[in-house]
Amino acid sequence: MRVAVGDDAVILREGLARLLEEAGFEVVGVAADADELLELVERSEPDVAIVDIRMPPTHTDEGLRAAKAIREAHPAIGILLLSQHVHARYAIELLSSGTDGVGYLLKERVADLDELSASVRRVGKGGSVLDPAVVSQLVGRRRQGDNPLEQLTDREREVLALMAEGRSNKAIADRLFVSDHTVEKHIKSIFGTLRLPLSPDDHRRVLAVVTYLDSE
Amino acid sequence: MRAKLFLLVPAALVAGAGATWLAANAGANRPTEPGPYLTLLVGASLIVCGLASWHARPENRLGPMMVLTGFVWFAGLLSEATDAPLYTVGVAVEYVFVAGFVYIVLSFPSGQLRGMLDRVLIVVAVAGALGLQVAAMLFGSGRGLRCGGGCGDNLIQVFHDNGLAVALLDVQRVLGAALTLTALSLLTIRWMRASRPERRELTWVLLAGNATLLALAVTVVDDLLGTPLNSTPANVWFLTLALVPIAIVATFVRRRLARGSVAGLVVQLGEPTAPADLRAALARALGDPSLELAYWFPAEARYVTGDGRPVKVPGPDSGRRSTTVERDGTPIAMLLHDPALEHNSGLVQSVCAAAGLALENERLQAELRARLVELNASRGRLVAATDAERRRIERNLHDGTQQRLVSIAMSLGLLESKLAPAQGEAAPIVREAQTALALALEELRELTQGIHPTLLVERGLPIALEELCRRAGLPAHLEVDLDVRLPDQVETAAYYFASEALSNAVKHSHGNEVRVEVAYHGTTLTVQIADDGIGGAAIGGAGGRAGSGSGLRGLADRVEALGGQFTISSPPGRGTRLRAEIPCA
Repeated sequence: MRVAVGDDAVILREGLARLLEEAGFEVVGVAADADELLELVERSEPDVAIVDIRMPPTHTDEGLRAAKAIREAHPAIGILLLSQHVHARYAIELLSSGTDGVGYLLKERVADLDELSASVRRVGKGGSVLDPAVVSQLVGRRRQGDNPLEQLTDREREVLALMAEGRSNKAIADRLFVSDHTVEKHIKSIFGTLRLPLSPDDHRRVLAVVTYLDSE
Repeated sequence: MRAKLFLLVPAALVAGAGATWLAANAGANRPTEPGPYLTLLVGASLIVCGLASWHARPENRLGPMMVLTGFVWFAGLLSEATDAPLYTVGVAVEYVFVAGFVYIVLSFPSGQLRGMLDRVLIVVAVAGALGLQVAAMLFGSGRGLRCGGGCGDNLIQVFHDNGLAVALLDVQRVLGAALTLTALSLLTIRWMRASRPERRELTWVLLAGNATLLALAVTVVDDLLGTPLNSTPANVWFLTLALVPIAIVATFVRRRLARGSVAGLVVQLGEPTAPADLRAALARALGDPSLELAYWFPAEARYVTGDGRPVKVPGPDSGRRSTTVERDGTPIAMLLHDPALEHNSGLVQSVCAAAGLALENERLQAELRARLVELNASRGRLVAATDAERRRIERNLHDGTQQRLVSIAMSLGLLESKLAPAQGEAAPIVREAQTALALALEELRELTQGIHPTLLVERGLPIALEELCRRAGLPAHLEVDLDVRLPDQVETAAYYFASEALSNAVKHSHGNEVRVEVAYHGTTLTVQIADDGIGGAAIGGAGGRAGSGSGLRGLADRVEALGGQFTISSPPGRGTRLRAEIPCA
């Protein structure tokens, strides 16, 4: 599997490259900032890009923006975001456009070589990875008591699984041979059953998906 | 000096009696004869008012000028004499008083001429009244000097050309009319340009002066046309002329009366006053509605307004003047007033003396307010400096310590994978190190997030608060009505306020849930955090919830540093509501 690494700290990107090679990956190149990374991806089309969220010049969310750009240009390339903070917000932004082939991990998880290579492989094969710390922040309080997922009907569970694949309402309706309206009704019911409140920035869809992924 | 003025009184009496007698028993028939009553009235008005003014204001040239003009007026009556030497002198100085009169009206109220044009007018007036008269006398006598009969001999006649003499006198009268109209316009323009207090000073003298000038102009024109109006214009002229010195003295007396308002001021200042009242009272006493007050702020060696803002001392070209008020040799206040008050420094001094104590009181209050303004600014700077420092520390930890720890973790991971099964006893040690390192990284992560919320800078207040609520140890409901980015310091203050209030609720409220509400109304951001716990929180920490007090104090400080308001409502048993209103100027 071919991997590109973007991180502004030389000690980390070189270390990461070494670890990945140790684990049997082919590292096609390393990049120190977002522009360099985009160019590297363009040139070598890796299977997975590992991206630090915070990169020059502003050291805010350049990595996240680069990840979104890569996803738009090359939907097939898996993205594994690394962050030093548990920002559920960034995970939501990343997952909003579909959950296949994306991951969000705390940086320190790279210490566990097995976990790292498992995560890279999963993302590379179109799966998704979400750091346990982020998941517990997003769905932690909803896990008290019984698992609400069990209360979903089979049809609702089917709709939720298709949502997790990043499909739109229209696509889900086509796939299940039902009307858009019916799909909307199912989704509303799913939100209610999972007790997802209406938030100012409505990302219940992502939260439902995260809940679903977490239970898998 | 003043005593010597009384020596002039007998001289004036003699001159007046002589001139009046000459006017009453006129031997010669001269044009524009004032007659005995007007002779006495004009001369007495000039000399009496002149002496009074001279006595009251020795430094002002108007007084001596009026007295001199009065004597010259009387001397002009010698032209009525039949005796040759007296007649000759009389005719020579017959119209010199006109030059004196022009000087008086132009130089009022200071007694100083104001510019080149003033000086030119005076020179022309003297040249016309004395120069042309004497020139005519060199050529003519009798009819040549416009004598209607019974005149004395002209002792300084050198040539015999009455035609030329009459022509010279015609030139003199045309010049006189032009001069008069110029002075009249000049005075009128000056009055129109004057400020309100200045106008009050000028009006009476301007009216009398302009009436005199107008009457003089009519008299001269009438005379040039062969006196179709007989002696009426001349009589009006003399009558109005007599009014000018009276108007001058009346204006000076009124100034002195204005000082009587100082007594009223003293009474008024006995009562407690607000700053605006003090200003109004002083403005009334000084007759200058535009008066402003500034107070000395010794800590920064400058003047400030009543509410503590800096004041600039007006420069010489600013159209404003300042007078410093001192007590015991140190400045306490400054009056910013109209330049007209400069001519009345006596009144200003009296008012300053009367208001000294009240001004000192106001100064102390202004100083207090200035210190408050300064204190608020420095509080804001401290908060800003703290925020900048937090950002720097977070950045250093992120770029330095965290990266290095992660790199060590990677090395340990690599080491673990390299350990051969034979070196099995090393594996637990490596894992132990990895666990300790993971804990250290987690702690560091919590710490840096608490020091400076990166998400706030990157995504704004609503999203940062959303994340905050997600992490809170209690179910937190967030309601945000805000769709714009606000100034950094406002967002930061609101964020820390919510963060601290939330952790207070989690730690101390024993409640089940907490509501966070944020609303923005154009000028004010309101943040409210309400829990359903036991209540009893207080800023001093004296309430039922020990330990929360200092945190609340910090919240209040942060909000108040931005000029905001912090309120707390925490009745025992009924939850706690913390509310911050932050202005977003």
